[in-house]
Amino acid sequence: MSDEILSALSLSVRVAVLATLANAVVGIPLAYVLARRRFRGRALVDLLVTLPLILPPTVTGYYLIVLLGRRGWLGAPVYAATGWSIAFTWYAAVVAATIMALPLLVRTARAAIDSVDRELEQAAYTLGRSEWRTALEVTLPLARRGILAGLVLAFARALGEFGATLMLAGNIPGKTATVPLAIYTAVQTGEEQAALVLVALLTVLSCAVLVAANRLGARAA
Amino acid sequence: MSARLDVRLVKRLPGFTLDVDWSADGGVAALFGPSGSGKTLTLQCLAGLLRPDAGRIVVDGRVLFDAAAGADVPPQARRVGYVFQGYALFPHLTVEDNVGFGLCDRPRDERARRVADVLARLGLTGLERRRPAELSGGQRQRVALGRALAIDPALLLLDEPLSALDAPLRSTLRAELRAILSEWGTAAVVVTHDFSEAYRLGDRIVVYENGRVVQAAPRAELLWQPASETVARIMAIPNVLHGTVVKASPDRIQLRWRGYLLEAVNSPTRSYLPPPEAPIAFFIRPEYVRLVRKDRGPADPQHHMNLMRGVVVADEDFGTTWTLRIRLDAPGEPAQGTHDLEVEVPHLVYEILEIDRDRHWEFSIHRGSIHVLPA
Repeated sequence: MSDEILSALSLSVRVAVLATLANAVVGIPLAYVLARRRFRGRALVDLLVTLPLILPPTVTGYYLIVLLGRRGWLGAPVYAATGWSIAFTWYAAVVAATIMALPLLVRTARAAIDSVDRELEQAAYTLGRSEWRTALEVTLPLARRGILAGLVLAFARALGEFGATLMLAGNIPGKTATVPLAIYTAVQTGEEQAALVLVALLTVLSCAVLVAANRLGARAA
Repeated sequence: MSARLDVRLVKRLPGFTLDVDWSADGGVAALFGPSGSGKTLTLQCLAGLLRPDAGRIVVDGRVLFDAAAGADVPPQARRVGYVFQGYALFPHLTVEDNVGFGLCDRPRDERARRVADVLARLGLTGLERRRPAELSGGQRQRVALGRALAIDPALLLLDEPLSALDAPLRSTLRAELRAILSEWGTAAVVVTHDFSEAYRLGDRIVVYENGRVVQAAPRAELLWQPASETVARIMAIPNVLHGTVVKASPDRIQLRWRGYLLEAVNSPTRSYLPPPEAPIAFFIRPEYVRLVRKDRGPADPQHHMNLMRGVVVADEDFGTTWTLRIRLDAPGEPAQGTHDLEVEVPHLVYEILEIDRDRHWEFSIHRGSIHVLPA
């Protein structure tokens, strides 16, 4: 049993770390673009990114199956070509956690970028900096506390992800069963000891993350 | 040496249209006008931060923007230094890195030399490692100036450069800024809503109102010959009055006002010849009204012209001068509500003539101090 706890814990941490990295790569540029650019379809992108925050996670998971499942829009061609599908692998848990955490990062980072004085960027332009280098040298450094707070929140969300993960990755012990899923299984099968340990671990971890996020947020203000 | 600047801009925004056309022959051009008249918008177009709908911007023969030819140099390549109203210093960088920000493409040692040189010329040596938050208002202004000047700009833009400062500091820094601008010799455009600032800083003043230029002239010409009553009003000139033309010639204009016959100098260069009985606007500078001393006998017409008589109905102490509000001994409503004229006298004169006690005065105005405002 303690083997299963350990494997669930290590899987959860791995998934959350990778999902947070994926969030940084996708979410920070997305937050910048949403904050600073006016383009066609901006409202739609904003809506799609935010939707997982509002929808029941199972609904988001369902859409992910429609998109990535063995018969999904993207999943079918991949399966036809390689015989492999992301569904029911631990990568699927990373994808689900990434999508579920993205709105938290994007909204927090976007607010931080919005609060950077545009005149600072304009000053950088007149001093010869491209928009790209201005973002790297001026905007993002000045928004870094908010971005970090967003990443911490995204990590916490990824760590606690349940519904979408269950839909896309399933609940395979030792393979895709992250801590929240393992808790569900433990309760269902009456292993109360294991459930208690996992619940305590997740609670402590989440509290630590929230405290960190609050500190970052407070210093950003 | 003199960088010529030609600016023609049309920019339509919701509820506001900027449509201006002016030029300057090097030196400092001051854009002066009330807030919301399009001055900052003009700077943003000059810097390339805002794209005009139409027009042409040429700095020293270099076309920065030409709507007709489809030319639009991006802000990065314009070599236009911009000192923002709030200075827009990078709060996460030191003074040194702020000033060197525009020099990132230079070799490291050349960059360091240039930064040291700029800091020394602006009296900022010793503050290299400070952050903007650790500087005084005046130091911040100089860092912002240094950052813009470090790139050796073809044109320097300053948006209300003194408005972020406290009043005592402002007059010191105005003189300092004037000295820096003439020392560096960079063509500059300064935006201000304060006429005395425009006058002190600008060689040429461009008067803005509601997105348009109402006058562009060398500063002395603007001071003595505002082109219209509108310009006089924007300049907040006191004693803008309305009379009736009696006779106009190229060098003199006789007019009737409040029952008095006044003679004013006309400007031969302006060839403004309104017909008799036409309404005419003019102004009288409060500091150019002379009180006639009572202890020296009747006023000598050789020294006094445009003699009038009136009573001081109110006075106000401005520290070094007194402003008197005089109501003429003439029938009818006073021209400015409770009074006809504002007159400014130095404290010394106020005391010697005992104006606080003696309220009834005769006074004169030289014809050269009555300024006609063409319709």
